[in-house]
Amino acid sequence: MINLKGSEMPKYLLIYRDGLDTPQPSPEEIQQFLAMWEGWFKKFPQQIVDPGDGLLPTGRVLKAGGVVADGPYVEAKEMIGGFTVVSAASYEEAIEVAKECPIAMVGGAIEIREFAGFV
Amino acid sequence: MSSATQLVEHFFRHEHGRIIAALTSRMGTFNLQIIEDAVQTAMSRALSTWPRRGLPDNPSAWLYRCAANEALDSLRHQAMASRKLALQAESVTTNLPDEISEIDESVGDETLRLLFLCCHDSIPAESRVAFALRIVGGFSISEIAAGLLTTPANIEKRLTRAKCKLQELREELVELNNQAVAQRLESVQATIYLIFNEGYAASSGDSPIRQDLCEEAIRLSRMLTVHPLCAQPTSSALLSLLLLHSARMSERLDSSGSITLLADQDRSHWNWHRVREAMDWMEHSASGDRLSRYHIECAIAWEHCRAREFADTDWSIIVRLYRSLQERFASPAVRLNLAIAVSYAENVKAGLALLLQLSDQDRRVLRPWWDCAMAQLLARDQQSQAAVSHWCDALALATNSAQRALIEAQLKIQRNTAGVNVCEGIE
Repeated sequence: MINLKGSEMPKYLLIYRDGLDTPQPSPEEIQQFLAMWEGWFKKFPQQIVDPGDGLLPTGRVLKAGGVVADGPYVEAKEMIGGFTVVSAASYEEAIEVAKECPIAMVGGAIEIREFAGFV
Repeated sequence: MSSATQLVEHFFRHEHGRIIAALTSRMGTFNLQIIEDAVQTAMSRALSTWPRRGLPDNPSAWLYRCAANEALDSLRHQAMASRKLALQAESVTTNLPDEISEIDESVGDETLRLLFLCCHDSIPAESRVAFALRIVGGFSISEIAAGLLTTPANIEKRLTRAKCKLQELREELVELNNQAVAQRLESVQATIYLIFNEGYAASSGDSPIRQDLCEEAIRLSRMLTVHPLCAQPTSSALLSLLLLHSARMSERLDSSGSITLLADQDRSHWNWHRVREAMDWMEHSASGDRLSRYHIECAIAWEHCRAREFADTDWSIIVRLYRSLQERFASPAVRLNLAIAVSYAENVKAGLALLLQLSDQDRRVLRPWWDCAMAQLLARDQQSQAAVSHWCDALALATNSAQRALIEAQLKIQRNTAGVNVCEGIE
């Protein structure tokens, strides 16, 4: 669940597309990444309102007419690997936070989208 | 909420070997691939979960349970295709302990059993090193490639070959009984020694992985010394030898990553804590009726450590030790080192004479060290021009940047002494 934390600041969804050349990090790298993630969450406690989650690589796609297919049907590089919700005053600030995200630091891409605020 | 910084250094790397050992001994070696994949998945899952939720109370148990479940799932998936496998999956389920605490007591054993498995006679020695580093040590393929100065593709090939061999042999983790230890301890020790040498021999400054190889070899040889059956005098000698070498390691490479010669090292920077520990193991090793190469090499390393300064080295003892090595465990490196020791114990000309006795085959194996030794001895014999020419030959034969840096530095000094430049063309 997305934690609203009662702020009026805009929220942004950080969408991770790993695009890593090394899909299998070594145990040693995992330990380093772990410290990087932790460091990131600690550095931006105000901005990171929901640490989000990772997404498993396989899923289903429900198409028109109720047809269900195995998915997702995108290229490996385009695959969404996880997400985090950030609260920030502007895109600039959200980008500053995203820049220090471990995904960005190991060469993955992060898509940043502002919540529309319909609700 | 506990944090990742509380994890011990190399936590994941060491857990990797531990969990693979625990699971292979229960699910069978023929499931090694499934188990390896399961451990990888468990670790990736930890990476996603732990930073967000904090470390679990018992990270080892968490990883083990996650890997065990994952491996069972894969087995069941495969089992859908075959009834036989289905039965197997069921029996494995009932055999698996729920908690890693149940396997904690035997875990040292299990890692060693895995190491003994990696050292099967029919697996070539070079594959054993890669296999042990991957399976027992938890090093990735690219880390092993960097450590052994070869390509990931090459390592991949060695690993595949080793795994196929095991598959073919249907080799299982053997109980570490007297017979298994008698058959394979020597090969296990040799593999540990090779791992250390790979890390030590040609370290390049920009590759910290090589230091890790040395530490891994020390960790594994420590395991031997605490296992009731493997704790033989030869294992103590091996550990003592590795500790003595590693005590001098940081001084061996300077900040720019080039090799510092023994004569030029600052001995106060050696790790004397390790030297003292090595002395304890040396005492342990001084029993039984087997004199291994590790015993003798350890005695040589100790002689170097014992000398307060390079000039204080007791070369006559070292010559005696190298002669004893030569009688029992002759190799090109032993012949080279004996010649150098003789050049100090007797005189330079005697050392040069011995160096010149080395065969062409020996010289090829030793590249570039035979030329380096020739150059040094010739220089000490005031034959500057001949020395320069051997440094030039050595430079052409150097196999990595640390060697090249060392040789270039020596060449520069020698050229200044010689006052001539006889091999400009080589650069």
